[in-house]
Amino acid sequence: MYDLIIVGGGPGGVAAGVYAARKRIKVLLVTDTFGGQSLVSADVQNWIGTKSVSGFDLGKMLEEHLRAQEGIEIIDGDLVEEVGKIEGGFQVKTKSGKSFETKYVLITSGSRRRKLQVPGEKEFESKGVFYCSICDAPVMKDKVSVVVGGGNAGLEAVLDLLPYATKIYLLERGEHIKGDPVTFEKIKKDPKVEVLTQTETLEIKGKDFVTGLVYKDLQTGKSAELALDGVFVEIGAVPNSEFVKDLVERNPFGEIVVDHKTQATSCPGIWAVGDATDVLYKQNNISAGDAVKAVLNIYERISKGKGA
Amino acid sequence: MANVKIYSTPTCVYCKMTKEFFAKNNIQYQEFNVAEDAKAREEMVQKSRQLGVPVIDIDGAIYVGYDRNALAKALNIQ
Repeated sequence: MYDLIIVGGGPGGVAAGVYAARKRIKVLLVTDTFGGQSLVSADVQNWIGTKSVSGFDLGKMLEEHLRAQEGIEIIDGDLVEEVGKIEGGFQVKTKSGKSFETKYVLITSGSRRRKLQVPGEKEFESKGVFYCSICDAPVMKDKVSVVVGGGNAGLEAVLDLLPYATKIYLLERGEHIKGDPVTFEKIKKDPKVEVLTQTETLEIKGKDFVTGLVYKDLQTGKSAELALDGVFVEIGAVPNSEFVKDLVERNPFGEIVVDHKTQATSCPGIWAVGDATDVLYKQNNISAGDAVKAVLNIYERISKGKGA
Repeated sequence: MANVKIYSTPTCVYCKMTKEFFAKNNIQYQEFNVAEDAKAREEMVQKSRQLGVPVIDIDGAIYVGYDRNALAKALNIQ
């Protein structure tokens, strides 16, 4: 039986792994990949101590730091799918069918892309509907695209598309663009970009591939169709917390409710940090710091010899 | 030895991860940059019926995205 299983390999998971290993906690970390959601960022400029690093390299830095720790066990290329209560702890099951027992669990599973949930979205996924602009923007060369969502991620998607697409629509549901004004000013100046605020996406149309998007103008109530080849969806995130929904308290957004002093959840023996939780600010540095808090609290528990 | 092709874009992280996986396991591959090479892009779309990268062709079997376990199986890696 492990003392601790860490679920996830983003900044939170890796920070927890490093601290747990240094405290000589018997620990296993299970993750699909290293780096978390920043993995697909072109340039991360706010990871403290590093002026500029690509998400890919940040993932590698994290992995290297973790693998340098003595005594830590790591499973990558797999995912935790189930956590269940057992006598004296928890049973953790992975996608590939592995099963482990542990006294304590630390959830650092982050979040995933929110989907539009409109007709055509699923049907045309990767056939013109994309969720990774930095990966897939180049296939929009000489084509017309739309970015749905006017937050920072949406603005970055527009930037990724600028060198390739001939025309880019930016659709935002609210009255104003919510992303950083600095980026938005830059985008707005480009004649290729057309911003449509107060719009709601209704449907994605196509045959073999995407051919158009239907939206409603929320001011007039009228629908209109844009002829285009690509839809980049950037409308926020959904926490990866379903696998513990019967064990811990979650808020209406699906975020795991934690004690922000210790990162403990409502279920004794389970801690959680980062984007899967109700932390106010979803940031790499905060996830890492909160993970350290959690591990120190778990270590205190282990030292006192209390069970779950 | 398997005939391996990867259709990629220069900025795609999952393409990089796939290529690192190949390199680590001494898998020779041919790479096509679909951001520049229109013919390769067409070939990729024809083979995979979709536009997302990476697309990997292993002896004619098509894999979309970086699925390490599936690729390892197809290439008989441990």
